[in-house]
Amino acid sequence: MLEVRHLTKIYDDGTVALKDISFSVAEGEFLIVIGLSGSGKSTLLRCINRLIDPTEGEILWNGVDLAQLQGEELRKSRRHIGMIFQHFNLVNRSSVMTNVLSGHLGYISQWQSILGRFPKEDKIKAWEALKRLGIEDQAHKRADELSGGQQQRVGIARALMQEPKMILADEPVASLDPVLAHSILQHLEMLNQEDNMTIICSLHYLDLVQRYATSVIGLREGRIVYQGSKEDILAMTDEEFKDIYGEEAERVGSGLEGNITHEGGEA
Amino acid sequence: MSKNNNISLGHIPEEIRPPSRIPPYLAAILSAIIPGVGQILGHAVRRGIILLGSFLSIMGLVIWRFRLAAPRDVGVFNIIKKGLHLEPILILVTILIIVLYVLIIIDAYNIVKVRDRTPIGAFFMVIIVFFALGWQIGDINLYTFFSQADEAIPALSKIVWPWEKAITQDVDYVRGYALIEIPCSDNPPPPSSATEGEPLLIANPTCGNLTVDEDHPGTLLHLVGKDFIPGIEADIMWKDPIRNEFRQRSEGHYVKVIPDENGDFELDIHIPYRLLPPSADQPTYIWKVFAQQVATVGSKHLSSDFKNIVERMIETIFIGMMATFFGVIFALPVSFFAARNLMSASPITLVLYYLVRAVLNIIRSIEPLIWAIIAVIVVGLGPFAGILALTLHSIAALGKLYSESIESISTGPIEAIQATGATWVQTVMFAVIPQIVPPFVSFTIYRWDVNIRMSTIIGFVGGGGIGFLLAQYIRLLDYKSAGMAVWFIAITVAILDYVSAEIRAKFV
Ligand SMILES: Nc1ncnc2c1ncn2[C@@H]1O[C@H](COP(=O)(O)OP(=O)(O)O)[C@@H](O)[C@H]1O
Ligand SMILES: [Mg+2]
Repeated sequence: MLEVRHLTKIYDDGTVALKDISFSVAEGEFLIVIGLSGSGKSTLLRCINRLIDPTEGEILWNGVDLAQLQGEELRKSRRHIGMIFQHFNLVNRSSVMTNVLSGHLGYISQWQSILGRFPKEDKIKAWEALKRLGIEDQAHKRADELSGGQQQRVGIARALMQEPKMILADEPVASLDPVLAHSILQHLEMLNQEDNMTIICSLHYLDLVQRYATSVIGLREGRIVYQGSKEDILAMTDEEFKDIYGEEAERVGSGLEGNITHEGGEA
Repeated sequence: MSKNNNISLGHIPEEIRPPSRIPPYLAAILSAIIPGVGQILGHAVRRGIILLGSFLSIMGLVIWRFRLAAPRDVGVFNIIKKGLHLEPILILVTILIIVLYVLIIIDAYNIVKVRDRTPIGAFFMVIIVFFALGWQIGDINLYTFFSQADEAIPALSKIVWPWEKAITQDVDYVRGYALIEIPCSDNPPPPSSATEGEPLLIANPTCGNLTVDEDHPGTLLHLVGKDFIPGIEADIMWKDPIRNEFRQRSEGHYVKVIPDENGDFELDIHIPYRLLPPSADQPTYIWKVFAQQVATVGSKHLSSDFKNIVERMIETIFIGMMATFFGVIFALPVSFFAARNLMSASPITLVLYYLVRAVLNIIRSIEPLIWAIIAVIVVGLGPFAGILALTLHSIAALGKLYSESIESISTGPIEAIQATGATWVQTVMFAVIPQIVPPFVSFTIYRWDVNIRMSTIIGFVGGGGIGFLLAQYIRLLDYKSAGMAVWFIAITVAILDYVSAEIRAKFV
């Protein structure tokens, strides 16, 4: 259970990116955050795992206020929150395997990791994560040799190595074409349903929101302007969506919703 | 706005200029008085200024060149006449300048008349005039290049194939001599007697007179040689009382003899002509006549020049290596101060950043050869001066390259690793190091390559290494040794080129 209370973020330059945000997410939900570019989606996600320090408010996760954590405690909590980025944020020159293994750094001793050594179990685990995402044959390539969709799957595998209870995904499909978008979101849905991970994901496309969300919040200029369940969002028309979302709202395209296989569209 | 259908080669449409305040013919007249002024007043200001500036600098250069060709003449006409006579290219330059002058006038007329066109004829002419001037200033002379090439061929062929000089064989002189008294006294020296293991030369008589002139030849000596090396040419030579050696001539040729299969020979010679210094005032002197053979002894081996070159080549490679080594050690910390993304945190660090950048830029803009000259003043001739010079330049060059690769680190991966719960050290290890090590390695190898190239010539100014030797050989006109040095440099650089490219390909 994640409960965000009166969260406010004001950047150093005075930009008010989040203003008194409150919402809660039950365990195992697939929460999708929608909103125009600049509405504060990234700021919200980054406040949760404290890549950004909130200005005010509480972020209660299973009773612990993430907003107050420092140092070692913060580090330990971060281990259980995976994060997936729009631009994948892989270390390009390192191998896929090293990128995935680095998701487990929080669990191994500093000295071990300085030598670049990971325990054997970790390697097996990384292998299994890659296998689960269907890219085990790419393990020894350099990360930047992979296509965009493959790189994002490496990003998910890296998050999986954290053994996370929650995954934050900041526009994970914005750099990918529609077919791949479905493929990536289906992987997240699989984690959500099979492993009961809580997913908080920001997205752009209405049909993707309708297809994957179990609940939705809409942001505009740092405030929550819409909150709804799966039923609410399914009943929503394009016009209503555009109302919250603005003119940027779009659909991925007809006929693509639903049954794309995990390997769909990827060579 | 301009009409696009006017596009054609040589006419680049630009925004229409504001209408000219003067009519075309007036612009032409003004440009005839001072080239470019017509354009300036006709609202093509930049064009006018460029043309005026070009014309003035061309005139300045031409006046200088004429003056240089005829430094002592007075009067404009005389100077021009002499200049054109001595430097025929100036004729061409003068004609081209006149053409340019006319083109600028036409340009002024056209630019004012047709407002949406920008003819480039005048600019084209400016370039041609500068080219012609450059030909004259650069003293380019294709005739000498081709006519003197023949004379350079012997030297060049030595450089191209110098390897005979790589191998030598030691020689030994085999001599047999007889004492000759000049002029004769009452008791001339006895004939030479045999010594075990040495050749014998017996002269008869053992005294006589020097040649005075063609009509009065010296005393005829009958020489008998024994126990010389069979079949090897022997030179007949003299040693005068003041111990100068010289060769016996006969009818303009040096006298030589080849001993028979027993090592014996016989021949007659006249005692040669020789002036002794006035201080030689004794009534009679003992001279030596001798036959000398040059025999090779021992096996062929590498020449000392070759060994020298190899030693200096090794020294060269190490100069480059040490300079790279020190360069890296100092450039690493410096590069952090020269990286904007690390230094923009506070005004103080930012000032430091600009300071470090400025110093690096200054050091880098001075060539290593000049640094070597300075280093030689400080530490004297030798490899250490070369190492100092190259180190300094390497620090500046690598500092810049390293800092640029630090600046181009992407923050995304750092954020991502941080988000997994990694520590600061782990984040540096897994997100920062992998991003900077490959470019660092690549730049370092590149620099190593550059340093070894530089170290081959740094010796020209006394910085040690093979360049030192090469400069010396060239000055002594020893083209074969110079050729060997050039070969070694070429081979080393080629190998290095290949190796460094291979290593870098693995890292980038
Ligand atoms: N580091 C920052 N410093 C100052 N302002 C920022 C910073 N990051 C984002 N902002 C501003 O905060 C607002 C919200 O940005 P963001 O969270 O990135 O929105 P979104 O992810 O929805 O596009 C925007 O107005 C943006 O300009
Ligand atoms: Mg964003």
